[in-house]
Amino acid sequence: MRTLLRFIVRYQFVLIFLLLEGVSIWLLASNNFYQRAAFGNITRGISGNIYRRIESATKYLRLNDANEHLLRENIVLRSRLAQLTVHLEEYSHLAVDTSYDKGFIFVPARIISNSVDKQHNYLMINVGRKHGVAEEMGVVSSDGVVGIVTAVSENYATVISLLNIDLKISARVKKNRYFGSLYWNGKDYRQVVLSEIPNHVLLTKGDTVVTSGFSSMFPADLLLGTVREVDKSLGNFLNVTIDLAEDFRKVDHVWVVKKYN
Amino acid sequence: MAKDLLKLLLILIALVFIQVFILNGMKINGYINPYVYVLFILILPFETPGWVLLVCAFILGLVIDSFMNTLGMHSSATLFMAFSRQFLLKIISFRNDNDSKGFLTLGNFGFVWTLRYVAILVFAHHFFLFFLESFSFSSFFPTMGRIILSSVFTIFFILLAQYMFARK
Repeated sequence: MRTLLRFIVRYQFVLIFLLLEGVSIWLLASNNFYQRAAFGNITRGISGNIYRRIESATKYLRLNDANEHLLRENIVLRSRLAQLTVHLEEYSHLAVDTSYDKGFIFVPARIISNSVDKQHNYLMINVGRKHGVAEEMGVVSSDGVVGIVTAVSENYATVISLLNIDLKISARVKKNRYFGSLYWNGKDYRQVVLSEIPNHVLLTKGDTVVTSGFSSMFPADLLLGTVREVDKSLGNFLNVTIDLAEDFRKVDHVWVVKKYN
Repeated sequence: MAKDLLKLLLILIALVFIQVFILNGMKINGYINPYVYVLFILILPFETPGWVLLVCAFILGLVIDSFMNTLGMHSSATLFMAFSRQFLLKIISFRNDNDSKGFLTLGNFGFVWTLRYVAILVFAHHFFLFFLESFSFSSFFPTMGRIILSSVFTIFFILLAQYMFARK
């Protein structure tokens, strides 16, 4: 203890300098947007690298689940393909119109870090600027929306998770097309809240909720979840609890949604 | 002693005022901006305790920062300068012991000594500040150019101010 005190007294000048300089840099990084972004880029590069190594070591453990999931998805896609080929015949004689919405392209990615237990959850994915990913692009998995890209570096991107109380996305009820905004209330990672649905709309347990397609981040009619509970006590608008289709603890393979242009 | 403190306080207020309302608006040639407020740290007496020096630098920097909306930038650069000052004063020799008292100004120490002392510390401050501002070494030479040009202006203004004070 005495040696520690002597050390502090002896080097007080340097210690005070380091302390105050630390406070300054912290102020700088938390208050100035440009420096914060630059700071984030450096740390993202380092942490991304570490997470990728851990991920490549542990991904074998989930291989079984992933396989099964892909198989199921394959079956669904095949049946959609079969349905569509029937229609293709009918449409092939129509003239080509180039002004229609060309839709979206998907960039496949893997999640290398994820959390569900905070109020502000973020994910990191292993694609970055090099792969054509930019800020404000949506991220989806085969079971629904995952989040929105908030920051990009060369090889990695940070995604604000749907399980982040700051994120709101536009969603609608599939059967009657009423739309509202969907957000997480920070309580249960399997449930989100759909708000701004007018009071007179009739909803029952099990109704499907999908993306509205109003933003250019997500395609329309992407599955989000099913209605669990309807709360009418809030006045003009319903407060609907939604069971998420996506299990954020398990999500692994995702796609970054790019607007085609 | 109390008179000296009052004098320092007046100098501080005047410097912040001049820096914020006059010099920050003048932007010579687009991007050269002299930062004369560091004069306050430069003239503090030799026997000022280290912690007083650092706290003064931090607060002065924060005041300037809060006027310029760059919280943390000027305070860390000014701190760095105060830190360097302590070591520089150990290296630069005095002519005799009687000189190492009172404010470190042109009037007390002569032109050559003051120029060397001011130039080194102003350069250290500007170096730290401008690199913190660009936050990368990728544009090293353009930043270096800004540092040198702004330093020259700052040194000029500081010596001019001290010359005017010394004559009184």
